[in-house]
Amino acid sequence: MGEDAQMKLFWRVVDLVVGGIFVYAGVLKMLDPVQFGLDIDNYKTIPWFVSVRLAFYLPWLEIFCGLAVIFRFLYRGGLSILTALILVFIGATIAAKVRGLDITCGCFGHASQHWSFPQHMAIDLAIFIALAALLASELRRRASHDPKS
Amino acid sequence: MRALREALILVALAALPAIGEGFYFRDKVSWQSPIPASELVTVDQAKAWGEGAIWVDARPDDEFAKDHVPGAFSLNEDRWNELLPQFLPNWSPDKKVIVYCSAASCNAARDVAKRLRNEAQLKDVFVLQGGWEEWVKTRR
Repeated sequence: MGEDAQMKLFWRVVDLVVGGIFVYAGVLKMLDPVQFGLDIDNYKTIPWFVSVRLAFYLPWLEIFCGLAVIFRFLYRGGLSILTALILVFIGATIAAKVRGLDITCGCFGHASQHWSFPQHMAIDLAIFIALAALLASELRRRASHDPKS
Repeated sequence: MRALREALILVALAALPAIGEGFYFRDKVSWQSPIPASELVTVDQAKAWGEGAIWVDARPDDEFAKDHVPGAFSLNEDRWNELLPQFLPNWSPDKKVIVYCSAASCNAARDVAKRLRNEAQLKDVFVLQGGWEEWVKTRR
């Protein structure tokens, strides 16, 4: 297998893992939107009527963007949204910690209920790095195929 | 530009099932408050229940030790497994349970009330509107 093909395979694996994580996380939250609304409300940054509406919307956005990354359809859009989401989430988690809020993130339903703050941050940062690397790789690939784009 | 166009398509696509799910859950969700109005009780209402109510303090131990509603039982999530067995013998089916935490903005009362309903299978569990802060105001 040539070096190019190996790199392609590597990025496909990263696509599948990152996309899969978001589909999994989205499905868990989509199944219990009320609990996810309470998890958002725990951050005490937005009013309940916004939290509860976001709780219905965000899981589906994660699922669609995760699928976009897995199937490489609307790929750049999916990567961009997921990168923005993870950045917002990292910011909200840090802000909550600074304000002394002891909260469960709810990002992976009950599975993440007992994660510590360092565990949250380590996983979020790992996902962010993977997304940023995928975006950079995609931009490089597009530039090499179409120098005008 | 292409990424933006694709992102907008995804944003719009995700809205469709979200609206559908929201419609499906429309009667199961409290849209205006995290605690449905039917599960909230004001201090005046709670006081009117008198002996027919049991008070549960969901605040941390140190806050409970400083002061609490007379006769309240401490039951917080930090020591749930230890405190729940101490509380349950005092409960009876004809009594209403009123859970409170520090203020209107705290979540502990809501979470403890939920666990009492789901895990301990208690009925008539209410959250005190405004929490301990409101209780102190009306005590003056």
